[in-house]
Amino acid sequence: MTTPTLAALAIAPIAVPALTAAGCAVAGRRTAAAAGIGCAAAVLAVAAGLGAHVVAGGPVEVAGLRVDALSAFMLVVIGAVAMVAAIAAPAHVAAEVDAGRLAPSTARRQGVLVHAFLAAMAIAVLAADLGVLWVAVEATTIVTAFLVGQGRTRGAVEAAWKYVVICSTGIALALLGLVLLNHAAAHAPPGTGGHGLDWAGLVTAAPGLDPGVTRIAVVLLVLGFGAKAGLAPLHAWLPDAHSQAPAPVSALMSGVLLAVSFSAILRVKVIADAALGPGFVRALLLGAALVSLAVAASLLLAQRDYKRMLAYSSIEHMGLLALGAGIGGAAATAAVLLHVLGHGLVKSVAFVGAGRIAQLTGTSRIDRVRGLVATQPGLAAATGLAVLALLGLPPFSLFASEFAIVRAGLAGDGPAAGWAVVVALGLVVVIGAAMLRHTGRMLLGPAPDGPGAAAAPRRLPRSTAVAMAAGLLAAAVLGVTAGPLAELITHAARTLTGAP
Amino acid sequence: MEPVVMSPPAAALLDVAAGALLLTAVLVVWRRDLPTILRIFTAHGLALGALVGVLAWAQRSVELGLVTIGVLAVRGGLLPWLLRRALAGAGPARREVRPVVNVTASLLAVAALVLLAFSVSVPLVELGESPATRAVPVAVAVVLIGLLVLVTRRHTISQLVGFLLVDNGITAAGFLTTSGIGLVVEVGVALDVLLAVLVLQVLAGRIRDTFGDVDLGELRELRDR
Amino acid sequence: MSALGVAGGVLQAVVIVGGAPLLLGLMRQVRARLEGRAGPGVGQPWRDLRKLVRKQSISPRGTTEVFRVAPVLLVAMTLVVAVVAPLVTTASAVPPVADLFVVVALLAHATVVIALAGLDSGTAFGGMGASREVTVLALVEPTALVAIFALSVPTGSTSLPTIVGTALDDPQRLISPASLLAAVALAAVIVAETGRLPVDNPSTHLELTMIHEAMVLEYAGPDLALVELGSAMRLSVYLGLFTSLFVPWGIATTATPLALALGVVALVVKVGVVGAGLAALEVFLAKLRLFRVPELLAGSFLLALLAVTTAYVLG
Repeated sequence: MTTPTLAALAIAPIAVPALTAAGCAVAGRRTAAAAGIGCAAAVLAVAAGLGAHVVAGGPVEVAGLRVDALSAFMLVVIGAVAMVAAIAAPAHVAAEVDAGRLAPSTARRQGVLVHAFLAAMAIAVLAADLGVLWVAVEATTIVTAFLVGQGRTRGAVEAAWKYVVICSTGIALALLGLVLLNHAAAHAPPGTGGHGLDWAGLVTAAPGLDPGVTRIAVVLLVLGFGAKAGLAPLHAWLPDAHSQAPAPVSALMSGVLLAVSFSAILRVKVIADAALGPGFVRALLLGAALVSLAVAASLLLAQRDYKRMLAYSSIEHMGLLALGAGIGGAAATAAVLLHVLGHGLVKSVAFVGAGRIAQLTGTSRIDRVRGLVATQPGLAAATGLAVLALLGLPPFSLFASEFAIVRAGLAGDGPAAGWAVVVALGLVVVIGAAMLRHTGRMLLGPAPDGPGAAAAPRRLPRSTAVAMAAGLLAAAVLGVTAGPLAELITHAARTLTGAP
Repeated sequence: MEPVVMSPPAAALLDVAAGALLLTAVLVVWRRDLPTILRIFTAHGLALGALVGVLAWAQRSVELGLVTIGVLAVRGGLLPWLLRRALAGAGPARREVRPVVNVTASLLAVAALVLLAFSVSVPLVELGESPATRAVPVAVAVVLIGLLVLVTRRHTISQLVGFLLVDNGITAAGFLTTSGIGLVVEVGVALDVLLAVLVLQVLAGRIRDTFGDVDLGELRELRDR
Repeated sequence: MSALGVAGGVLQAVVIVGGAPLLLGLMRQVRARLEGRAGPGVGQPWRDLRKLVRKQSISPRGTTEVFRVAPVLLVAMTLVVAVVAPLVTTASAVPPVADLFVVVALLAHATVVIALAGLDSGTAFGGMGASREVTVLALVEPTALVAIFALSVPTGSTSLPTIVGTALDDPQRLISPASLLAAVALAAVIVAETGRLPVDNPSTHLELTMIHEAMVLEYAGPDLALVELGSAMRLSVYLGLFTSLFVPWGIATTATPLALALGVVALVVKVGVVGAGLAALEVFLAKLRLFRVPELLAGSFLLALLAVTTAYVLG
């Protein structure tokens, strides 16, 4: 491919959502819905093209952007989850507007902000410079703040405030980390690599970085980006924000935003491993993983709100990602990437289902929802399958990735990873039991009788059904074979483990 | 990067600016009435501007001189102005009535935090020692003090001030270590901070509208049990 | 024991004893003028002292020697500090005593002696005042020590003449953050120790608020005159020390008459200006509620601590 084509391809994942955002500001609801699906399809297509190119010809740097296997893969994740959300969003918005909970102007604004959000995430995964990456991640906070607080209820406003304060502060810590990393890079021995915060340059220069300064910088970066990724100890915003945001937005935030932030941690890890040896970040990540899993387990046991249940499940899965990244090595890293995609797909399906349940029942409390299988068989089946997939049951890809992480941990060097995996497995079992019990109560059992019980239509809106089915199907296929993605994941894992 | 050679008077002025930065951060913790806190915060922004100005003068850098003007305008002018406007719209509560931790205890906590900042910053100072890097611990201390304000205050404006203290501290650290981290990133950072403050200001207004108060201790709508 | 030191010691004793009541008078006069009153004039404290000395000496029934000795000890300890501290000259009459720690300990002892006397009187007010004074002292003492430590870091010595001499040689050090922070902390210490606003109100006799006045309520006649003189001297010595440490210019470095005269004038002017400033500031201050005082003192302790750490870090 020629350089101008490549440049156009690299800019497209940013430009297309940005243009769609502008379009949503003027277009009608029907056009905007189509544009959303088109936008997601375009991002997916470009991601596929870039992925093929990168696998064949190595990383490309154009126009301040850097496309390597990891960024191409993250674009695939963004595109795939955006597709599920884009297909499901119009029906959700229409139902909200019909119910009078959403003003048409707010619905229009939601379209604009969601696509601006997508553009910011695309910048974050494509940026060559860690500083630009930081700016993009902080931009996602700003853009999504009003999406979280859209409801204007007490809960929504509270969630938005916590979200912006905790995420902005956490990410500010990451900025301090970047400043210190820049300090270390400026004093690296001359001739060892790039300049400033260019990621590739930092990776080459990493062995010459001052270990004392780099250590502080890495702690701050992991803590900061970890806040945005929903890792303990700065996870408190996540359940609030995910339970208050509109369902399609929750799907995007949980499915991609957390993962984009986590990919920043993965990139920092490459630098840190070269500068400090693998032990340091491993200890940090394993610690964060176990604390996140413990938090998720303890708060899931007596959970009363099914959206919050899904949010804590996101914390659990981010913990599993941290566990895999902490174990390190090509196999575990590849599993982590597969887990990112699988979790994105399945969690977005689950949130879409939860959003529909909330619209039908008017509550997000677990104990107010009963016997969905009897009243809403399609919705109940899709939601049930999504929760089963989240628990890591085959044939969904989460089973394969969790299995690979566990195997890598038990086979890996040093007893720390092995013990961490054992503890994590115990916590995952607790989480699984809790989620099964809560979901079972909601789905199974006789239909509740009472006023309004039979009023709701039994069938799902077609678009919602398509979105949920497509997401589940993709996750199931990924569980059997990753197909052409396998090559891309292998390359990305190689980029992240420093192997040539 | 070549080491920055600094004349003794410039180094002394830098120390004074750094001292003012720390002192104003401490005063924010000390005082309770919000108009005073905002005045101190303005002084904090001006001290940050002075710090960058001294660096610009020491390095005879025109570019850094222009950045100084930008820092003074945003940190010493625009952001305090935004906060004052937010305070004017925040209703009658003009005092931090009952912080989560009382003032005496938080002052002692500040003392501990400063010691912590100075001890963790040892490797930062040792790498490329110069008058500028020797002031980095002050910037780190300001970041920690900002975090303390953020977690121990209940008024929305106080929390905003805490957030901005964190940010000013980071900016100071950036200029003291390497005189900045690239123009694109810096403009992006400044824009992000500004937007974050605007978003928080709007949210503060909504909190007042929905909760009838700007006391964040009232935010207990979302809990797990 | 140098000639400069001896000359300074004698001069300082005379200036402090003679000038302390005048300083008090000046501060009251400034305050009166700012409040729109004519004021009794600068010499009024001396006239009060003269009147008290002529009265008969009495002491309350049931008090012990502590009560009678305390005023003398107060004046004596303060006088020792006035003699040895570098106020007019940089040299000291008794150099080993001109150590920061010794000086602060002497001044604190004077407070303790008066507190003991307050307890000894056996009245409710005496005990209450003593308890309050000791509370404040307990909070002030660490601040004073830490602030002093910050000042001694750059010179590597706690000897007052050395610190003042170094500051004269290298005035740039005076605007270092460590020095500025220590100045603010010491200012808070002085305000608390000398019973000024906003910690204590020197002109109140309201039982709920007074601290210092409550302790000395039982004194009368010549004893009260000594207590008043001692308190005035404490204020002058503190302000003199403060100006010597942070504004050392004009202090005599040689034993020539001209330099000594200049030193005396400089001391009088500096202390007068600082005192007048303090009085002017007090017009705008209200007394802190007693339970807010720890807040103020915790703040000044923090500043002193910051002074030490920045002295080490920024150098």
